[in-house]
Amino acid sequence: MQQVVFGIVAALIVFAAVRLVTTRNLVHGALYLLAVLAGAAILFLLFLAEFVAWVQVLVYIGAVVVLLLFGLMLTRAPIGNMALDSQTRPLAAVVSLAIFGITSTIVWKTFKGQTVHFSKPNTVDTLGRAIFSQYVLPFEIVSVVLLAALVGAVVLARKEE
Amino acid sequence: MQIDYAAVAPELVLTGALCIVLVVDLVLPDNRKGLIMPVSLLGVAGTLLALLALAGDPTRTTLGGMFVVDSFAVTLKILFCVAALLTLAMSYDYLRKEGIHQGEFYFLLLCSLLGMLTIASSRDLLPIFVSLELVSVPAFVLAGLQKIDVKSNEAALKFFLFSILSTAVMLFGMSLIYGITGTTNLAEIAVRLAATPVLRSIAVLSVFFVVVGFGFKISAFPFQWWVPDTYEGSPVPVAAFLSVASKTAGFVGLLQIMFIAFHGLADVWRPFIAAVAILTMTFGNLVALTQRHIVRLLAYSSIGQAGYILLPLAVVNVNGGSVNHEAFAASIAYLLIYAFMEMGAFSVAVAYGREGGYFIDDYAGLGYRAPGLAVVMTVFLFSLAGIPPLAGWAAKLFIFRAVIDGHEYWLAVAMAVNTVIALFYYAKVVRRMFFEPAGDGPLGVKVPLLLQATIAVSTVMVLLVGILPDLAAHLARMSTLV
Repeated sequence: MQQVVFGIVAALIVFAAVRLVTTRNLVHGALYLLAVLAGAAILFLLFLAEFVAWVQVLVYIGAVVVLLLFGLMLTRAPIGNMALDSQTRPLAAVVSLAIFGITSTIVWKTFKGQTVHFSKPNTVDTLGRAIFSQYVLPFEIVSVVLLAALVGAVVLARKEE
Repeated sequence: MQIDYAAVAPELVLTGALCIVLVVDLVLPDNRKGLIMPVSLLGVAGTLLALLALAGDPTRTTLGGMFVVDSFAVTLKILFCVAALLTLAMSYDYLRKEGIHQGEFYFLLLCSLLGMLTIASSRDLLPIFVSLELVSVPAFVLAGLQKIDVKSNEAALKFFLFSILSTAVMLFGMSLIYGITGTTNLAEIAVRLAATPVLRSIAVLSVFFVVVGFGFKISAFPFQWWVPDTYEGSPVPVAAFLSVASKTAGFVGLLQIMFIAFHGLADVWRPFIAAVAILTMTFGNLVALTQRHIVRLLAYSSIGQAGYILLPLAVVNVNGGSVNHEAFAASIAYLLIYAFMEMGAFSVAVAYGREGGYFIDDYAGLGYRAPGLAVVMTVFLFSLAGIPPLAGWAAKLFIFRAVIDGHEYWLAVAMAVNTVIALFYYAKVVRRMFFEPAGDGPLGVKVPLLLQATIAVSTVMVLLVGILPDLAAHLARMSTLV
């Protein structure tokens, strides 16, 4: 059952991802990105990582993609068909295929025939405890990163008088 | 969980200081914004004091083993604080003259410094990664703070795009490492990789991704394309900060990961690092020959310098031992010395740029117009070139010795050839200053007091370490992790 769902979702993600980089319409691109991210959320659910799945939905679909669409709308960027790609398309294809080939071959060879057993799902409870005990240092650093990003965004977006 | 507050005191002081800077910026009227600078200066000085109080203590480990304060961490944190102090002093007049928002500038600079402090103490992939982001995110904005200048916008955008791409690649590598070892602790990763040889090929793949990610941060070939444009377009003090502090932070992360977590795979990555180091220095030095803008020249020169600092990694031995120790110490010593000569050269560029200009042609006849400035610039440039008895010479000697000890003689030859190439473009500027008639530029260059202090501190350090190279060598040997 899990395998079947995985197969369908994976095929969907691959299709959307390929369309994402080949489409010539920015808004379509954003919507394909949404499909890719939603697919990734389903994959997380399949691996019993429900918290990560919902974070994926909230942050990536709810914030990033919506922000992208709002950005397009508010800056009145041209959103019709246009040449989104540069001259480097063939080179980019070669590089991506090479990285994909090498990575997947190595992963395939290393883990062929192994099965993973999920013993118990990671609950929000365990995650919360981990973040505020063992992982408190990265958590605090991230909070300063966010503060800096906030101030930076304001100073860059502010209109000069 | 118990927290050793003494160990995190410098970071706490700095975090407090940056909050105060933010609030002070809020309450000060527009014409008094200059007051934020002394507040920031005090904040960094307080951090420095807290660090000095930790110097010489036995190793402290806290926050779940993620935060380690040892001599390596303390030495580099002191270096970061000094670099930040020099940048602050360099920025004051520049910001007022260019009309850049001062409050936000100092706040972002302190945020970036905080990231540098935490990366020096991180012995775990997770804090290393987030610290590196804390170093970079404020730096994107700093690079683009000259908002009406198109070049500054380009600088920020290029820096941002290249950096997030490199971060993504690095994070992918780190996630693979976590996937196969089940831990993010560096020492633990080394143990588990050694215990499971089956995972070797996938580990090598992730090492490759991680090195690519750091390659962008330290501007190693072929990931250095953003450097000249970003340095040229950014406010010049930001360029100095990027080329010294940000680059050192990248090296700190890279050295920790390579020496602690991945030294068992050194056989595989050694030739790769050797090639990258040689290409980096050769590219930087060759392209620098054709530059006409002083900041671009320093940018390419800093790419060349990154090649030298990377070189000792190419002699790392799988079995550890004194070769590794010397290699690590050589890189650290170079970083310590490089900071002062690069900061010095940039501060002279800022001082002269106020009135004279930023093109190398503008430097013609500086020796007659402002002899003092010309002489200290010569000191910094010759030190970067590695001419005795200046500090840069000692730095190059340490690298040279480490490479010879590792029996990689061809690397030493490549480095020697590069040193000769580099001499050409440094000497070109010096020749302009002393052996060419002055143009229409001003006679006598006024240098603001704070900038004078920056130049003076850098000069003293370059001369002092040049005469007593054992100071840097001793400090570096004490501050290794192997």
